[in-house]
Amino acid sequence: MTVMMLREPTAETATSKRARKSPPTSLDGKTVALMDIGKMRGDEFVDRLEALFTERGIHTRRYKKPTNTRTAPIEMIQDIVSSCDLVVIALSDCGSCTSCSTHDLNDLDNLGIPGVSLLTSEFKHAFSQQCDKIGFDGASLYTPHPMQNKSTQQLHEFADNIFEDVLEKITISTAN
Amino acid sequence: MTQSPQSEKSCLEPGWHIFLKRDCETCELVKPLLEELTESGVEIICHVQDHPDFYASLNPISDKTLKQSFLQDIEVTPTLLHVSDGKETMRLEGWVRDEWRSAFQQPDLAADLPTFRPGCGSKSREPGIHEILEARYGNPGFEARQVQIDEWDDEMEVCFDRGWTDGLPVTPPTDARIIRMLAGTTRDPQQVVGKVPPNLAPITVEKVAINAVMAGCRPEYMPVLLAALEAALEPVFTMHGLLCTTCFSSPIIIVNGPIAKSIGMNWGMNVLGQGNRANATIGRALQLIIRNVGGGVPGDLDRSTIGGPGKYTFCFAEDETDPTWKPLSVAHGFEPGTNTVTLFQGDGIQGIIDQRSNTPEQMVQSLAMSLLAVGHPKLAEFTNAILVLSPEHYGIFRDSGWGRSRITSELHKAMVRPGSDLVQGAQGVGEGIVAGRENEMVNKFWPEGLLIVKAGGQAGLYSAICAGWTGGRFRDQSQTVTREIKL
Repeated sequence: MTVMMLREPTAETATSKRARKSPPTSLDGKTVALMDIGKMRGDEFVDRLEALFTERGIHTRRYKKPTNTRTAPIEMIQDIVSSCDLVVIALSDCGSCTSCSTHDLNDLDNLGIPGVSLLTSEFKHAFSQQCDKIGFDGASLYTPHPMQNKSTQQLHEFADNIFEDVLEKITISTAN
Repeated sequence: MTQSPQSEKSCLEPGWHIFLKRDCETCELVKPLLEELTESGVEIICHVQDHPDFYASLNPISDKTLKQSFLQDIEVTPTLLHVSDGKETMRLEGWVRDEWRSAFQQPDLAADLPTFRPGCGSKSREPGIHEILEARYGNPGFEARQVQIDEWDDEMEVCFDRGWTDGLPVTPPTDARIIRMLAGTTRDPQQVVGKVPPNLAPITVEKVAINAVMAGCRPEYMPVLLAALEAALEPVFTMHGLLCTTCFSSPIIIVNGPIAKSIGMNWGMNVLGQGNRANATIGRALQLIIRNVGGGVPGDLDRSTIGGPGKYTFCFAEDETDPTWKPLSVAHGFEPGTNTVTLFQGDGIQGIIDQRSNTPEQMVQSLAMSLLAVGHPKLAEFTNAILVLSPEHYGIFRDSGWGRSRITSELHKAMVRPGSDLVQGAQGVGEGIVAGRENEMVNKFWPEGLLIVKAGGQAGLYSAICAGWTGGRFRDQSQTVTREIKL
């Protein structure tokens, strides 16, 4: 017997997830947006990623968010959409970076720019939760945590170690 | 807000109906007349709201559930209705002899009764009761999904089980309570207030009210809560980052203006402590909204390393009782007497004990010493801060003619330090400002980054610091927000 009816206080959002957009089969002629989320030390990691892409002859375009604590400005999103084919977002090592950068990944994917988000291992669960809540099956890769107290050399090694996986995530051969 | 029950009025049989209650002198007054009319062959169906036995001679229908009174939208007892072809054709409220004579076409009716007596309020219109009737028999028009509580369920536990609480019990959000809460605002329940991070889920006024019920708010707090939510959702407040941060912080709400007094907020003794409903529940409601609508659940997207008790609730009013003190809202550009909320990203508190300084110069140095420790003693222009200045500490400044502006500027001056002491690695500590600023004199806070709020009990030479969030280092991207409360 029903004795009381309550009203749902949550957003009542769906939990089913949509697949991310398919990446290209090859990176030939493609431009990869390297989005530095604006967190301290992240630029050192992205510097190395940029060098690695350049060594492979892959064209990149660098972006830096004004703050890791907000989603990317619409002007930046639009510039990426008009200038690039793929995005690599790095390096999230806190809750606010993770949430905001996951929204950025989703927003860009919705606009036809598939990509991958790079985070520290501590935020694997947070990334998964944010994807669940916004219904997006986003791609992610993880470096060791913590990274703030590492040397520049160590951050470059993190980039070296993850680079091949990044390439796999942004091409269709292994992404599907 | 609610749909009218008018469409169900046709359920009354054709003919005369009267709504009465025992606890109504005017109803008692007309009782003999009703008996007389009935005996003369006039058929009047009598609905009694409280004690049908009192009107037994009229063969009444009990309306103790008040369903019929609600559906007929009865505001006054007695109310005489005439129904014909499924429609109400006449409604007489209270006792007006000429109206009754005309209604029954008897020019000499009730010659012994006075010409006029006002009626009493219908029981169905009593505060508290009407909302329950609206929930039970009306259609509140809510969009939120209903959650069924069965006979053997404990509704408090259901709220916990569904993950709707902050760890403390919440008031179960029933329709009657939500209707009552929505009476605190003139805004349409389906109006979208904004998108709540981290999920950036749209929130309607109805969802605000549901969470306000759960937090324990009173309806009159709604304008403050809505203003606080709108301030939190302004991009420059950076609620998204604040919620998900590994830091300690959460929104701190400071209320200015006459509304603080009118809704019973505390700005005095134990101002940052427990015990005041408005302070406690407005702050809590904002946190519940972020949790329930935004999805900011600790351990999922709320990633705070240590957290802080302010993440349950952190809301208080500024003491504006001393005319020599310029309120925070006025310092932020609003006219005196304007109701405002100021939202600050912070945590705390860190107490300041100084029972010896007795000049403004000493007080400035003393307060600055404590403020320099905010975040880390070697960090600068990295976080903001609130100084909660107690009446006794302020009195030392006031007695020398110092007001808000002078105190603020002198504090900033007292917190300028050589960069060589602060750069990373200096003093044997890795943390600090970036290398290259060794030859600069460095401010602790941005010029606008130190907020002084006067509050606290009249006795006690103590003040307090609420430290700001690390997002404050992005001076243009993450700022305190002050917003007018629209009544």
